[in-house]
Amino acid sequence: MDLLPTSEQDEIVSTVRAVLADRHQLGEPLGDELWSAAAEQGWFLIGLPESAGGVGYSIIEESLVMRELGTACAPGPFLATVLAAHVAALAGNAELTAAIGAGSHRVALAERLDPERFAVQDLPGASLVLVVDEAGIRVVDAAHVSASAVDSIDELVPVAYTDGAITGEPLAALSGDDAIDVLLDGALLVAAGLAGLAEATVTQSVAYGKDREQFGQPIGAFQAVKHRCADMATRAEIASCQVAYAAITRRDRRDDAAFHVDAARIVATRAAIDNSQINVQNHGGIGFTWEHTAHRFVTRARVWSLRLGSSASHQSSLLARSAAD
Amino acid sequence: MNLDFTPDEDAFREEARTWLAEHLPAGPRPPEGDEMRAFDLAWQRTLYDGGWAGINWPVEFGGRGLTDIQQMIWYEEFARAEPPFTLNNSCTFVGNNHGGPTLIVSGSDEQKAFHLPKILRGDVVWCQGFSEPGAGSDLASLSCRAEIDGDELVVNGQKIWTSYAHVADFQELLVRTDPSAPKHKGISWVICDMRTPGIEIREITTMSHVNDFCEVFYDDVRIPLTNVVGQINDGWRTAMSTLSFERGTAFMADQVELAAVVERLIDEARTRTGPDGRRAAIADDEIARRLATARAEVTALRAMTIAGISRVLRTGVPGPEGSMVRLFHGELHQRVYQLALDIIGADALRLTSIDGHGNWTGPYLQSFAYTIGGGTTDIQRNIVGERVLGLPRV
Repeated sequence: MDLLPTSEQDEIVSTVRAVLADRHQLGEPLGDELWSAAAEQGWFLIGLPESAGGVGYSIIEESLVMRELGTACAPGPFLATVLAAHVAALAGNAELTAAIGAGSHRVALAERLDPERFAVQDLPGASLVLVVDEAGIRVVDAAHVSASAVDSIDELVPVAYTDGAITGEPLAALSGDDAIDVLLDGALLVAAGLAGLAEATVTQSVAYGKDREQFGQPIGAFQAVKHRCADMATRAEIASCQVAYAAITRRDRRDDAAFHVDAARIVATRAAIDNSQINVQNHGGIGFTWEHTAHRFVTRARVWSLRLGSSASHQSSLLARSAAD
Repeated sequence: MNLDFTPDEDAFREEARTWLAEHLPAGPRPPEGDEMRAFDLAWQRTLYDGGWAGINWPVEFGGRGLTDIQQMIWYEEFARAEPPFTLNNSCTFVGNNHGGPTLIVSGSDEQKAFHLPKILRGDVVWCQGFSEPGAGSDLASLSCRAEIDGDELVVNGQKIWTSYAHVADFQELLVRTDPSAPKHKGISWVICDMRTPGIEIREITTMSHVNDFCEVFYDDVRIPLTNVVGQINDGWRTAMSTLSFERGTAFMADQVELAAVVERLIDEARTRTGPDGRRAAIADDEIARRLATARAEVTALRAMTIAGISRVLRTGVPGPEGSMVRLFHGELHQRVYQLALDIIGADALRLTSIDGHGNWTGPYLQSFAYTIGGGTTDIQRNIVGERVLGLPRV
């Protein structure tokens, strides 16, 4: 029993951090350089076995990468691209898997907006779309998807709504248990991204609490601010620990994995949304400006929280399950 | 990263489960006084005879020298056995989790040899003597005086919020031995024999109808200097080492138990009629959401506890999780019992005892202690803010 990362996993995290620090600036759109670096580093295939053309690590390493993308508040269709590679690999489409891994495709994410329409994230610049609906999960050519852009709550995550269904022959498709499997990994990766966001807001609030002075002292000395920071840190830590636990249950294909992924999603959503909101409050007037980056975490947390279901959908499924082992 | 138990740990779990099934006492636990003391000590003695006392105490001091993982497995099996009492409420808690561990770290050879076997065997009850009427959150401002007179300390003053003082044999007592030193520097940690002349104990009734909460008055109470643990005037450091146990494993039993309580509550919500008077309580959306959140939170609390154990096993040093576990657990414990009262409907009118399977209102009233005792949640937040996040003090 050991919930801490191995030294190899720690190294993966430092490498991802270094790449992001070098090629990503908070508040800037996704650059080609970061996308190519991600492909070179194997981020899109990190969790797939070598037999499926993958890097040969597991969902644990995959979730560590996604967590860092959350921490950096990096925009870009990383989640859907990683999951499209899962779908392609499980569907036996080796060519597509390899192309996604090489960074040749940016994959948009289409989920139900209502019974008729889909909401699509990251469509501009995408060559493929990952479609999630009641039939399962499939990868289609972006040419099949006609959608009208709407103003996005997060300017760096473009959003478009379709007029109707998404049709067209899929390049890879999963249904039944295979689809459930990929969606479970997807929900865990969403939780990891949310846990990263939650942690990033702690860093931002604590730095400001030490730096900003009022009444002749750093505001972080005041309990009103200090206690909010302590709560933020606790929520972020709880989320990270549960994400790590759930990732191990998925890697090991344990029977209680779905239970733990639900739990991870619930605590991580709460951590990311609450923390990002309180982070604005901790910054006062400057936190309310467009120029400051605090709002980036607020809107990104909302976007992540609505990927592949919601906290509420995971609450329903968690309560319906039998107790964990 | 792995969730696997070793063959030894699996065998330990099996052994614990079998033993508990045969030895767990029938309830209910007597609510107060000498009968309660006898019940708690008899259980401690049963543990001792079965080889289950001091699971994570070092072997040289009579413990089993096992890991915190095994300690956690024991608590999980204890909770699974549906015991008629709560370990955290036992009058053996301070000896097992405070006094004993403090002596192991800071006590003299004589102190260890005299006291540790008695604690493990269930011969004695220990209580705490930290808080005073004027020194609660600001513990270091305590003013209970002890003056050196020959080879004795003479204690005068008052302590308060001392659970089980009225049935205790010994007390871990913080006294001011140097009033001229800065407040953290002039404190000593001493072992006080509760039968020493000059001690007067008054019981305080809590909001949960329990009378074991006491105040203790000291009038020229003479304590041998050999009862000082650690150095004289260095008691703050000794006390902090005691409190670090609280933020470590002392409340693990309670966390494990809370997970079992949430499962029981989900069962209750499936069988009890909900607020609309027709469907089961669990069909109510708000109750369902809160139950799901509680289930997710106790699950995540366990993950955080395991992360803390992992760090201690790997590095020997507690990480940030330790301080956060207390804070999160105390408030979660309260939320769970608040939710319980919303689920049981009119049955919430009936007062129950504070522990025992299937009781809700007593534990609800008792839950208010969880964000006050052992340092209020306000102090816990200061600790996380200052020691973990490095935010400045006022």
